Amino acid sequence: MKGLYRGGAILATLTVAGGLLAGCGTGTNNASNGTAGTNATTNSTNTAAGSGAGGVVNIVWAAPPITHTGLRQTLISKFNAEHPNIHVTLQDQNSNTDTNRASLTTTIGGGAATPDVYMGDVVWPAQFASNQLAMPLNGVVPSNFFNRFSKGLVQGATYQGKVYAAPFFADSGFLFYRKDLLKQAGLPVPTSWQQVQQEAETLQKKGLVQYGFVWQGASYEGLTCDFTEYLTDAGGQVLNSSGKAAIDSPQAIKALTFMRGLITSGVTPKSVINFQEPQSEDVFVQGNAAFLRNWSYAWSDSQNNKSSKVVGKVGVTVLPTFGGASGYSTIGGWDLYINPHTQHTQAAVTFIDWMTNTQAQTILAKQFSEIPTNAQVANDPSVQAVSPIFGLVSKTHYVSRPDQNPNYPAISKALYTNVNAALTGSVSVSAALQQAQTQINQAASGGGL
Amino acid sequence: MEAQVPSLPPVQARKSLQASDRRSGYGLLSPAILVIAVVTLFPIVYSVFMSLNDIQLTTSGYKMSFIGLKNYGVLVNSGVFWHSVWFTVYYAIVTVIVELVLGMLIALAIQNVQRLQGVSIVVMLIPWSLITVISAQMWGYIYNGVYGVLNYIVTSLHIVSQPVTWLGTPVSAVISMMVADIWKTTPFVVIILVSGLQMIPKDYYEAAYIDGANKWEVFWNITFPLLRGSISLAALFRILQAFGVFDLPFVLTNGGPGNSTESLAMLGETSLFQNLHFGIGASIAVSTVILVLAVCLIFLSAFRSMVEGDAA
Repeated sequence: MKGLYRGGAILATLTVAGGLLAGCGTGTNNASNGTAGTNATTNSTNTAAGSGAGGVVNIVWAAPPITHTGLRQTLISKFNAEHPNIHVTLQDQNSNTDTNRASLTTTIGGGAATPDVYMGDVVWPAQFASNQLAMPLNGVVPSNFFNRFSKGLVQGATYQGKVYAAPFFADSGFLFYRKDLLKQAGLPVPTSWQQVQQEAETLQKKGLVQYGFVWQGASYEGLTCDFTEYLTDAGGQVLNSSGKAAIDSPQAIKALTFMRGLITSGVTPKSVINFQEPQSEDVFVQGNAAFLRNWSYAWSDSQNNKSSKVVGKVGVTVLPTFGGASGYSTIGGWDLYINPHTQHTQAAVTFIDWMTNTQAQTILAKQFSEIPTNAQVANDPSVQAVSPIFGLVSKTHYVSRPDQNPNYPAISKALYTNVNAALTGSVSVSAALQQAQTQINQAASGGGL
Repeated sequence: MEAQVPSLPPVQARKSLQASDRRSGYGLLSPAILVIAVVTLFPIVYSVFMSLNDIQLTTSGYKMSFIGLKNYGVLVNSGVFWHSVWFTVYYAIVTVIVELVLGMLIALAIQNVQRLQGVSIVVMLIPWSLITVISAQMWGYIYNGVYGVLNYIVTSLHIVSQPVTWLGTPVSAVISMMVADIWKTTPFVVIILVSGLQMIPKDYYEAAYIDGANKWEVFWNITFPLLRGSISLAALFRILQAFGVFDLPFVLTNGGPGNSTESLAMLGETSLFQNLHFGIGASIAVSTVILVLAVCLIFLSAFRSMVEGDAA
């Protein structure tokens, strides 16, 4: 009797535990079915609104907020209205580029069919191509598709002869300056880096402004962008033509010494070594700095009455140089990629075709001040009149980051951590560059951390 | 005094467990063991397996090729890896020691305050209950070199003339981060120690005072030995957590300046999710597990011999 009782108890526990495990199992199944929660909902709307009502194809576009968050929805509504057979839904992504990438690689690497189209950084093509996270566009888009883009942009989205993304909007570094302060002190708009430093010092000494020049010096991707501009202007490069590190060079020493000098001379606040774009822009729009290096959106932010104290007092120009004709600007911006697991390739292609065509690109430029990638729109005088930034685009010398290597993230990290260390003064400029040289070579061969 | 060291009555194991009782005991345990195996052991074993492979993402899933210890070779040859091992170890050791000492002092204070005991525990719990990402962001504002509150305070009090960039040099960034960590997790230690203190029978103290012991002797001979279970529990939890520190440096410094505050967990995240080097990422995870186990074992044996040394 006692034995029976005990046996029953064990059986009961096992059943409960078994149920628990089974419950776990179903839970995970559900989760993986809809890896991006939206998947499940998309599928259900698919059947509800879709196949029943004349074959509407539902696709999902994953994109982080673009300065003005209304941009994504504006374009989607317009597209949906013009394409009754395709319905695009927005999947909101994190505005931190690295977090965005982590979520996309997890989702797509796990085999999810959505998002069908995603917006990704211009430095991703090589890495995403080599990890098969993006669909090569050659063959699925019309042969003349790539002719519409401004020169050099398609090259940036190419890896081993295939194009993996459609350039969506471009960006690059500009020099923003306080025209009221320059006028007050009788100074010209600077064209050389030395001039920026001298004029900033003058303005600070006269007590017109607290800080001279702010930029992005934190240990992150943005510092790679800033450093690349000084480096290229000084005549140096990160990787040589055979893909080996070339950063331990006199040119790199010149570039980094100048950056460090901005801090030691007091032109740039010491805390710049923690500044990403928002912090540097904040100091400038609060009226506490004379010069700012930032991306194009800083123009509209500085002209926004709600957040800016310097509305109407800001000028913008191309980045200065150490002595050449003009400086270099790092190419930034965003591309549209297609998920290789998508079940709606045709609809996805229709979507990116429309998004990079004249209508959408004009909306992008005129209503939201983003630099269009479509050459026809970029050269349209009525578009160029919208923002002083657009007039500078043709005068800018562009430089790409060494993103043709699939290990670019590790290469960039080796660069920005060491440059950042030199900016803090905890290691010397030459020691930091030697260290970067070693680490970049490890990274380029796949052994970077 | 030594002869009177009280000890809790040991829980006597029933010696006459019948074989059938033991069998049914295992039977009742087996479902729980199964669940643990599935949710804990499998991922650990799988991580070890992953760390021995080169893993490529393909459109049809992951392609693994066995490469032995090559991933570990990459780690051993990398200065970045050793730097983050070193940072993680001293960060964990310093914060855990400070938290234990501070936690003990606060716990004793709370224990001795008769009124407001509940209130002080609730107040203590506020930092602990904040989500780290949010409290880290808050500390980021406090430490900000341009408009930070801390700079406002120290410049207003004329302690320094120029604002300090707290997160701007390797040493000050590490210290600033430790302060934020200690602020947040000391309450956890306090809670565990307070509950440990409340379990010590009051008569031991009465007996000791009647025998003429002073407070210091009472602490070393009664409180501390009887609290060792709580202390090692708090320490183990804290060591485990401190070795996995991710959110605080991620938000506060992103590993900077340079890579001076890059923890092992951050390095693992970068390898796995930014560089997409899944094998290397797994080997960092496995190395962290080994390191944590080693530190926990060293701590436990050191702590045991220390306590026994005191008690003898």
